[in-house]
Amino acid sequence: MIMGETKPYEPKIAAFLCNWCSYAGADLAGVGRFQYPATIRTIRVPCSGRINPLYILKAMANGADGVLVSGCHPGDCHYMSGNYVARRKFALIDSLLKHVGLEEGRVNFSWVSAAEGVRFAEVVKGVTERVAALGPNTGVFKVDGGGTDE
Amino acid sequence: MKISKEKFGQSFDALTAEYQVVAPVSEAGAVNFKTAKSFSEVKQDYLNSKLPPKSLLFPQHEKLLSYVKEGKDITVKNELKVGKTVLFGIRPCDAKAMLLLDKVFKNDQYRDPYYFDRRDNTVIIGLACNKIAPTCFCSSMGISPACSEGSDLLLIDLGDSYNVEVITEKGKELLASLGELSELSAQEQALVDTVKSAQTTSKVDVSTITAKLDKMFDNSYWDTLHEKCLGCNACSFSCPTCHCFDISEEVIKSEGSRVRTWDACMAPLFTLHGSGHNPRDKKKSRWRQRMMHKFNYFVHNNGDIACVGCGRCIKGCPVNMDIRQAIDGVNKAEVVVD
Amino acid sequence: MNSIIDDIRAAARQLLADGKVDVVIGYEKGSLPLKSTPCFVRSPQDADKLIWDETCENNLATYAAQTAGKKAIIAKGCDSRALMVLLQENQLVRDDLYIIGVSCPGVIDKNKIEAETGEIIEATITDGKVSVKGIACDKEYNFADVKDATCQTCRYPNPVIVDLKIGGSVEVPQSDFADVIALENKSDAERKAYFKEQMSKCIRCYACRNACPMCYCQECFVDCNAPKWLTGGVDSAENLLFQTGRALHLAGRCVECGACSRACPQGVDIRALSRKVNKDVKEMYNHESGISEDIKPALNVYSADDPEEFLVKE
Repeated sequence: MIMGETKPYEPKIAAFLCNWCSYAGADLAGVGRFQYPATIRTIRVPCSGRINPLYILKAMANGADGVLVSGCHPGDCHYMSGNYVARRKFALIDSLLKHVGLEEGRVNFSWVSAAEGVRFAEVVKGVTERVAALGPNTGVFKVDGGGTDE
Repeated sequence: MKISKEKFGQSFDALTAEYQVVAPVSEAGAVNFKTAKSFSEVKQDYLNSKLPPKSLLFPQHEKLLSYVKEGKDITVKNELKVGKTVLFGIRPCDAKAMLLLDKVFKNDQYRDPYYFDRRDNTVIIGLACNKIAPTCFCSSMGISPACSEGSDLLLIDLGDSYNVEVITEKGKELLASLGELSELSAQEQALVDTVKSAQTTSKVDVSTITAKLDKMFDNSYWDTLHEKCLGCNACSFSCPTCHCFDISEEVIKSEGSRVRTWDACMAPLFTLHGSGHNPRDKKKSRWRQRMMHKFNYFVHNNGDIACVGCGRCIKGCPVNMDIRQAIDGVNKAEVVVD
Repeated sequence: MNSIIDDIRAAARQLLADGKVDVVIGYEKGSLPLKSTPCFVRSPQDADKLIWDETCENNLATYAAQTAGKKAIIAKGCDSRALMVLLQENQLVRDDLYIIGVSCPGVIDKNKIEAETGEIIEATITDGKVSVKGIACDKEYNFADVKDATCQTCRYPNPVIVDLKIGGSVEVPQSDFADVIALENKSDAERKAYFKEQMSKCIRCYACRNACPMCYCQECFVDCNAPKWLTGGVDSAENLLFQTGRALHLAGRCVECGACSRACPQGVDIRALSRKVNKDVKEMYNHESGISEDIKPALNVYSADDPEEFLVKE
């Protein structure tokens, strides 16, 4: 790095990935050496149906700049219907979070299969750009530790 | 002796340079005690604040200390912040409540620095009540709408001026910076006398409650009292004398803090042991605790009833649990007092 | 109204005398003007305590599961919807429950009145007029003008499940989600500011949660220690996390009784969150909770062509 040049802002993104598809997709991206930004912190979940809305809220509260939730394509769930059930939940979460003033692009949902290594890299790239454009999390859920508004 | 509101306002504004001045302010549809920068922000005509002023000395959520771990080194930082404060416009019930809180946070063995360092740096300017709400029952609790207990200075609103009464040395010192006082007119004196002799219309009888409760731990009264209670903390959090708290550690990665947060006897979690056992596992026992603590244990420990009759719990309760009725219920219980 | 009260009392007396139920959960006159209070009647002679009017604002379904034995419950439209969901979720045994349904004209928003008149000293309700003697001023209101916000958007004033129906039915008002749409149409910054202001008032007393008939988790996430979802801090960010988490947990379950908002001692607009979720559930999944025993909760089922607009744009 040249002296005086500041390191570009790198967001921290909590990525909740389904064990049976997106997690394996991330693995495949690694094996295939498809480059993607080192912005995600992966948390493996057994199914996108396991995602509790509180995971997303708590990640935002504890200072993640963005969240990525990724599961199997509808119809491909390892447990038959986990992602169908999750899909209904995600649609409501997404809508409510925007309603209360969380910036569009902070919380992202996608379906990535175990075979889509390239696509996984693309999704992460896209999400990183979106979150980076928003800058550090100062959002509605960010807890500053003060404990009071004053 | 009186001071004109104009002059008082100017002194008030001047005080904000040296002190944190906390006063009733109307915000988001409710009057509460907040830091005021000028007298013009102060809400003049109000019955009482929605929430009690206790949070100024005993915040709902307070960092006691914080720590950072770097490698093997741990740095601990004291988070106690104290500045000189003037608390303007608190009602006699809340001023009395401060005296009760004092007894909780200081005894012959222990002095809570977080509460007391603030307390010692706070001057209280009380404001007598010209209007009395139907839910007020302070007259039954040994005080009155113009009681001076707990205030350093007591003001009575006379329209364009305040009647000023010096109660303590602290108040006398502050008065020096407030400006010249002038004599009351005969008419104003009459108004002062009226306010001073006023009593609340709502009354309860607490003359024998402590003695009765001594014998009521196993009374069947508790079997039904609690029934409609939802078990929320609205009453405790809006009470100027409730003071129970919880201390916990809040840690994210290698940084953390020790915090003190209000808790309340109405919450089952308050008494839940780590083992899973809960000695107060029923709403019945939690309501008994609330009544006992206020009207019996506190009297035995500190010589006073831990209720000042502000009526906030009555107004705030979602199911209209009325502490006056709860007291009446104890009075009616068939217990023989020695 | 008076004949309804007589009928409620007669029904309660009979049920208790016949031993069909152990307790009748209803309303009695409260200690404050324009306020009723829940009451538990256990003997026929106490049945005369029961009342019914526009102040009966609590959702008694909240007490249903907590009260032991066979119980009769006075249920408005929203209360009956709550009972229906609780039955669907296996929280209640149908045979232990006797639902006395009463159609509801709406309840009074006391806070709205007190904002003008100051604390109420005396009040009477006659023929759709509410006369109030307040500490600041006296005023007369049309009931329709001081009806609780929830009741103004109510689509189910008539009980959906009853064992005994008392009184006539109430005309079902036309209602859409105009209140939610108004908020949706505001800018992101305005909505953010609105919720921040509302959440700054919250003192986390959990009256909303405890008043809610649907909030019956053995351990609420706010009380959970491991993981610790909330720190106990009372800033607007944490309060929003609590209220959003709660609203999402009620998705497809909330019966829009408004008990949360009415219970709030701080006047937080809690419904603004649950109404938004309810609107989404209705629009996306065409579901309304607690209106029929046969309809499964929206989040328990799915369809292959559910909307996917929320997916990240690639």
